[in-house]
This record gives sequence, C-alpha cells and structure tokens, in this order.
Amino acid sequence: MTDRNVFVYIETADGESVKVGPEMLAPAREAAGGGKVTAVIIDAQSDQAAEKALIYGADAVITAACEAAPPENTVGILTAMAEKYGPDIIMIGSTPAGRETAPRLAARIGAGCVTDVNALDITDEGIVWTTPLFGGTILENVGISTDVQVVTIRSGAFKCGEAGDPSGEIIPEEIIMQDGDVKTKIIDSVVEISEQVNLEDAEIIVTGGKGMGTEEDFQKIQELADVLGATVGATRPVIEAGWTSRAHQVGQSGKIVSPKLYIAFGVSGATQHITGMIGSDYIVAVNKDEDAPIFDVADIGIVGDAKKVLPIFIEECRKLKGI
Amino acid sequence: MKIMVCIKQVPDDSVKIELDESTGKPSVEGVEPIVNAFDTYALEMAARFLETGIEGEITTITMGDENSKSSIKNCLAVGASHGYVLHDDLFEGSDAQGTAYALGCAVRKIARDEGGDFDIVFCGIETSDETSGQTGPMLAESLGYSLVTNVIALEKKDGVLHVKQETEDGYNIVETPMPCVLTAARPNYDPRYPTIKSKMAARKMPIGELSAADIGARSDKTGESASLVKTIELAAPPKRKAGIKINEEDIEEASLKAFSIMTDANVL
Repeated sequence: MTDRNVFVYIETADGESVKVGPEMLAPAREAAGGGKVTAVIIDAQSDQAAEKALIYGADAVITAACEAAPPENTVGILTAMAEKYGPDIIMIGSTPAGRETAPRLAARIGAGCVTDVNALDITDEGIVWTTPLFGGTILENVGISTDVQVVTIRSGAFKCGEAGDPSGEIIPEEIIMQDGDVKTKIIDSVVEISEQVNLEDAEIIVTGGKGMGTEEDFQKIQELADVLGATVGATRPVIEAGWTSRAHQVGQSGKIVSPKLYIAFGVSGATQHITGMIGSDYIVAVNKDEDAPIFDVADIGIVGDAKKVLPIFIEECRKLKGI
Repeated sequence: MKIMVCIKQVPDDSVKIELDESTGKPSVEGVEPIVNAFDTYALEMAARFLETGIEGEITTITMGDENSKSSIKNCLAVGASHGYVLHDDLFEGSDAQGTAYALGCAVRKIARDEGGDFDIVFCGIETSDETSGQTGPMLAESLGYSLVTNVIALEKKDGVLHVKQETEDGYNIVETPMPCVLTAARPNYDPRYPTIKSKMAARKMPIGELSAADIGARSDKTGESASLVKTIELAAPPKRKAGIKINEEDIEEASLKAFSIMTDANVL
C-alpha cells in the first residue's frame, strides 16, 4: 500500500472547527495508509480546533495565526504550506468557502481537483474519488493524475472516527502575506437568520413542502417537531414562498441530511430534494398525489392530504410521549 | 463597463437524468438543452446592474458545439449584446482546469478585438450537470483577477464594485477592484423572459466562432490529454426500495395504520 502525506484544512468559525473538519480525518487516514495526516488551521484562536483535530486522528497540526481567513488568504497560506511541506493530498471541506478555496489552490499549484467527494476507494492504481453528477442521480468515479491531489469532502459523507488521546505535535507557522494576495474586502456582514438550525446532526427531521397549502398550515409542522424533539426541514419552494428561512432547506442547494427518521408532509420529491434526504434511515411521506416520486424512496407512504394527517400524527405522538 | 457572462448549455434540469445502463452514460437523449440556471442568474444580475444607469455592454460566451449557438441566441434576447461560441475538437474532454484556461484565453482575445478589458467576468456558481463549481474560481486564477463567489447583487459605489455575497446566515457586502470574476447564486427573483421583439432581434445578431488557434490556446493546457482529472466510470447510486403505500378512503384510518407501523418499527 502506498503511503501518502495528507493535509486536512480545517475551517473554523469563532475558533471552533466546522462540522466537516473532524469528519475529514477518517477518509484522510484511509488515504494516508502509513503516511502522515496533518491538520492545518488558520485562525487567531486555534487551540480548540487543534485539540479536536488531534483527538479525531490527526498526527500533527499546523496552525497559522491569522485574524480573518477569507478564502483569498486561505489560498495564499495553503499554497505556501503545500510548497513547504509537500503533501500528496490536500482535503478541504465542501463549505461555500472551501468550494472557493480548493479550485483556486489547485490551479495555483498545478494540481487536479475534485469537489464534493462522498466516498473513496484505495486501489493499486491510486485513489478513486466518488463525486455526484446531476445533483446525485449519477455518481462519477474519478482519478487525479497529478502528484498533488486537491479534493473537497462533502459534509456528513463521512462519520467522525473514534475519539482518542490528543497526542501529536502542534506546529505554529509564521504567515507572510505577499502584497496583492488580498484584493477584496468584506465591508459589511449582515446576519439575517438568527435561529440556529442543525439539520445535519438531527436524529428526526419533519419536513413540510408546498403541499401543506398555506404558511399557516406549514407552521403546524413545528408543533409535531416539538413533540418529537425533531428539527423542521423545508423544500426550496417553501423557502421561496417565504414560509420559513433558508436555514431549514434540505436538498442539493440546502443541507444534505441523514437522520434516523425523516417525515415529509406535502413534499412531492423533486430530484434536488431527494438527493438531500435519501441517506435517512427511515422515511415516511404523506402526499395527495399517489404518483409523487417521494413514494419511491419512502418506507411508509400515505396517499392523502398532508394537512389532515399532520394533526392526527401530532395527537398520536403526544399520547405516545405522554405530553 | 464591459461584462463577460460565461454560460454552459446543459440538459433541462427539471428532467431527472439517470445512468443509462446500456451505454454507461447519462440519459440525456431527447432532453431539451437549456442555459444553466445559475448562468441565467449571472446574466440577469449583469443586465439589472447596467440598467441602474451604468453605460456598458454584456458579451456572452460558451464552450460547446454548433448546437450551443441556440443558447447564446437566448442570451442575446435577454440582455447580451455580443455572443461567442468556443468550438474546437481540441477542447473535447477538458476538465475544469482546461475549460477555465480556454475561457481565459478567449476573454483576453475578445477584449483585444473589442478594444478594452472586461471589467467583470461573470459565471454561475456551478452547473446542474457537473455540479463541481470549479470553473469560476479557476478562471479567476487563470486571468489573475480577484474573485467573489455566491453573488446575489452588485452595485457600483465611488468607482469600486460592491458585491452582495450570500452567506449561510445572511449576506456580506464585499468591495472588489475590477477586473474581477464573480460567480452567481440564486437571487430572489426570476430572470426576465425574452419578448417576441427581442427574440427577432437576437436572431439577426451575429455569433462569433472561435477555435483554439483563434484564441491562442495551447494543446498541452486544454482538452482530454491535458486533463488532470480522469473519469474512470459512471455509476448509479444505490437504489432505495419503496416500502408500504397506504391508500385508503378514510384518512384517519390510514394515518393510524401508518403510525402503528412506525411504532412497531421503533423509529419514534
């Protein structure tokens, strides 16, 4: 088996690693064989994220103290680190910033780049990366022919490995920014969505689609979610109608989720939505149209008006939970 | 203000494309080709930007075969003034890097011919077929321009560009020098439709055709042989079997039946 040195760039927000950060350490270890897995963290406050990286399997952590790390800085810093340490693979999380960073980094260092990887296979010929096409209805297996390979890893595609002792070296690196590295400037940052919606870690998700009919009826989804301790999901048409914020969106342009139970009320099952929830363990769907594509993936399908089924479910769940 | 909008012709994204097991290729036969949705948002944002009283023109370009001229014509009917198709056997099988390289060569060549650099090069954030989102950022590198991704609006303020960038919980206002590359996300409106008049006018507009030689693209930088990412095979994702479908007159009975199956399955 080939040994490869793998860099894992762990993006942070307020000093903490983003969800996909530690998740990448599992495929990184697999790709490394007997090689070294090194996490790279670019943040003024890197202690927490660095320790987490060591707990979840990094052999070492390179930290670069940098006040703000917009993708522009990240590209410059990762380019310098790649030149200094010569990794064989650079893994980056498929976040909006990561999807900007990876192709630029790859172009700068002359590496091949694959985005949104959700599986990998180590073969004698090299690593085979799997990435979705057409929003996930087809999978493409690809290989990268350059010495350095840059990939982005989709959030939730890999589970975090076992937590271990945080042993390993932390290597602080000096940042030397070149003039002209940073051309753009964020002059204002506005938070419009203040609620914290954690669809990716939810055990139960109750989603409403346009089949709920009205905004008022859609809001009742929350009641069932409260009884079940579930998170509310929504389809794109619901977001576009303004019934809820896009933080709730499940699907290709929203969150890819994999709860134990997914209940869909009034969701017809557009490809872009199915892609986002097909990894759920158990799927229940309610829709008036008996030919709705959502039924093709549902463990239980109820043909009927979602508005009428919802209150019955709420009542039954209350009885079950004794609330 | 000169704006270049890069577009790609893709199969209609409202049609579910699956793997054709007999050919090992996507089932795109008979699916209507359309302009990639994110690219139409880029064009619309560019058009609205110029309509705020900024003097300028939009040029649109695509890489593709003779067929993709129809997509350029559609763009000419909704805001673009010039259209080009990059077509050469050499470009066949390019990966994102090869595509970005060729687009970069073309942008420079057209700028020279039309007498002046483009201030903004606008792409959709990703295409509905490849969904990789690599071309825009790689084009920025190829041209050496600054880059702002996930753009939902733009505004000119005191000679610089203020770009509204969608974020997970809201938006940023990003100041960028020009020339720059921008990638468009979905704004909260739909792009305009062509009118009969604008369609007629577009039909009469010339579409430039550019070969690899025309733009000075090198064969070791684009096309299949220069591709750094090689497709090994396409595969169908694991199928999920449909379970029980309850279709009964009495909705309460149906609901209770479903509920009891769920409790038996211990999922609640």
